[in-house]
Amino acid sequence: MHLKVNDESHEVHVDAERTLLSVLRHELELTGTKYGCGEGNCGACTVLIDGEATRSCITPVTSASGRDITTIEGLADGDKLHPVQEAFVEHTAFQCAYCTSGFIMSSAALLDRNPKPDEEQIKSALSGHICRCGAYVRILKAVKSAAGEGDAG
Amino acid sequence: MSGQDFQSEVALKVVGPPRWTPEPDPRVPPGDPATLLTINGDGAVSAFSGKVEYGQGIRNGFAMEIADELDIAVDSVRVVLGDTALVPQDRGTTGSASTRTVGIQLRRAAATARQTLIDLAATRLEVDSGALSTREGSVVFGGGSKSVRYADLLSGHTLTVAVPDEVTLKNVGDFRVMGKPSSRIDAVSRVTGSAKYAQDVVIPGMLYGKILRPPSYGATLRQIDTARAERIGGVVSIVQDGDFVGVVAEREDVAEYAIEAIRARWEESRDTASDWNLPALLKERAGESVALREEGSLQSGFASADRVLESTYYVPYISNAQMEPSASVARWDGDDLTVWCANRGPFAERDSLAEMFGIDPKRVRVIAAEIGGSFGTKSPSVSHEAARLAKAVDAPVRVSYDRAEEFGWSTVRPAATFEIKSGVDVDGKIVSWDYAAFHAGENAFRGQRGADTPYDVDNVRISVAASESPLQAGSYRSLGGATNHFARELHMDEIAISMGIDPLEFRLRNLSHERLRGCLTAAAEAFGWESREKRPGVGYGIAIGYDAGSFTAQIVEVAVENQEARVTRVTVGFDCGLVVNPDGARNQIEGSIVMGMGTALWEAVEFDGGRILNDGFARYRVPRITDTPEIEVVFTGGDDVPSSGAGEPGIVPIAAAIANAVRDATGTAIEELPIVPRL
Ligand code: FES
Ligand code: FES
Repeated sequence: MHLKVNDESHEVHVDAERTLLSVLRHELELTGTKYGCGEGNCGACTVLIDGEATRSCITPVTSASGRDITTIEGLADGDKLHPVQEAFVEHTAFQCAYCTSGFIMSSAALLDRNPKPDEEQIKSALSGHICRCGAYVRILKAVKSAAGEGDAG
Repeated sequence: MSGQDFQSEVALKVVGPPRWTPEPDPRVPPGDPATLLTINGDGAVSAFSGKVEYGQGIRNGFAMEIADELDIAVDSVRVVLGDTALVPQDRGTTGSASTRTVGIQLRRAAATARQTLIDLAATRLEVDSGALSTREGSVVFGGGSKSVRYADLLSGHTLTVAVPDEVTLKNVGDFRVMGKPSSRIDAVSRVTGSAKYAQDVVIPGMLYGKILRPPSYGATLRQIDTARAERIGGVVSIVQDGDFVGVVAEREDVAEYAIEAIRARWEESRDTASDWNLPALLKERAGESVALREEGSLQSGFASADRVLESTYYVPYISNAQMEPSASVARWDGDDLTVWCANRGPFAERDSLAEMFGIDPKRVRVIAAEIGGSFGTKSPSVSHEAARLAKAVDAPVRVSYDRAEEFGWSTVRPAATFEIKSGVDVDGKIVSWDYAAFHAGENAFRGQRGADTPYDVDNVRISVAASESPLQAGSYRSLGGATNHFARELHMDEIAISMGIDPLEFRLRNLSHERLRGCLTAAAEAFGWESREKRPGVGYGIAIGYDAGSFTAQIVEVAVENQEARVTRVTVGFDCGLVVNPDGARNQIEGSIVMGMGTALWEAVEFDGGRILNDGFARYRVPRITDTPEIEVVFTGGDDVPSSGAGEPGIVPIAAAIANAVRDATGTAIEELPIVPRL
């Protein structure tokens, strides 16, 4: 089966019933995408498929084949961080950061679709994500500032 | 992660006990001398601590302290944490307070190194060391016009110096780094996915293990049939040792299938404990009470009281529910065991592994990976399980829990029942205070944190008992601190309301503790307590707390509507002495508030006869971004007061402040958590 991840093509030989998350983490060793629940409830496993934020833990790998997959490892442009990554660093929008890839991927997808979201739109785009460390105040500020609302914090 | 030897080209080594307190403190012994800081011939600085990073930013805090004392850049300090082969032994003292004793000792080690470098320069330049100072990794002289780099001073040397008793540290005014906002040194690895957590560790030849779980706590295995599982391609071995059954496979998903293919019959325990009868059970099954403090005479206190109140409170088990489920990799090299895991106490983990396999602790090396936000627990069992499987198959094995295992088989914050009897005089002064707590868990010590009252009272008894725990009780952010505060601060409102006194005024009337008063008045002013607006469905609540050497007061606003309560605003007064990293401290406090909000409003582990009933996020509600209130933090500590913890104290009063606010909104007293299901 063919997978296009972060602009690179991979030929993988895996059982059709495996999840995209399992293949990314185990076959392609892209461990920046995290397992948090495996049930679509926490957002830790979020990747972009054709630009759409998608829970990779409940996505069969077959349905991602032939599409454009972006993981946290592929979000930056070489050494240049994506504006959302940049903002997460600037606002220290994490503690343990286990949830961070997921939040960043969903935020990047949101800004792509809606470059000037208001607070309610940001919250609703991220409401499927859990940060157990409770870094939400920062996350909100970071996404606002990535959206160019000046210094939100 | 690699076995790289940091000591290889060490030119200067600073040794000393890992902890330091201004006065000898029997509760926090300094520990055995060990290497605290090294500078290599090329000038690279490394610092070593048995503490681990679990998201509290400890790596950054230590790096900032060392950078300031040694006049080097923060990101040039390599902080090595939690690798038992490299760092000083930390005898498992946990909590923010002991972190401070480590941080200050690292500062002292850095200052010692700086002095050594100045002395080397003085000898080399044949000048008086008093004429020298340091700047950006160099010793400077000649009025600052000339300089010599640390690396050049050290070349050709191999020195070992001990941290002396007297060390002169920099003054607050000279800090360039501490006290100023800074990005975490590990930030980029966190936003690009390159930070490696225990779940991500892969070593050559590694296999994947999965454990067969009983249906409930205390169940025993009666019958098992593994034939079907054995036939699955990719299964390496089915390991059975009594009730311990595990599968080792070439891939994780194969191990999962294989576990499901095992047929097993269990006999479940007949324990009738459940989250329904636990409040009463905790008292019935309690061991002996330990009196933490007993002063004056309760009897005469109650006799002189104008009013006597009695209440019972209850907090349920709470799941840590950390985002990273527990994971551990174990590798045996002959009789030597190496374990990569996410445990806050790597030395305790090392010792428990050594004990389990009957080997010398020196043969066990525990390496703490980045820890995915565990304020309290990562199940220690996961390392035991990985090591058992690795031994059985003679290959490295990783065991990673899934979410249901994490909910079902990690330790939980102890449930607790409290009985408080108080007496107040006509002036609204507390004259008698009888406090009894019954915390689940064999360890009474856990429940003692925060049990004592900070309010003024002459006749007082504080007693804590450990009660048999139907579930495996373990640590959590601030342990019993948060639960004890919940009971006490709820009762404070109980008295205030019954006397018709404003809750802020009532607390101030009974509180002479200066630092707590400082937090309380600052929070009240920032919140606008006096001018708060009474509206239908809106309530306001106050609570104060102390933990890990720090003090805090919190005021919240809630909105209650349609059986839901929403926290809309929180103002925090916080005194942790000198604030080393204000942004980091704020981040921790905000996190504590959000986490505590979950315990107040929704969270409780539901169980029946040892079976966990809500083992997924769909059935165990935790705070989300849509629940997050506006949070304002006011620091009230003095710069001349030594720093104390900011990671945990923030959580202690928040549940009580929220409960008091909900009571203010609805008029109904709250005695049990969580609040929302009871609205
Ligand atoms: S791991 Fe996919 S949503 Fe939680
Ligand atoms: S930063 Fe730890 S879970 Fe979000």
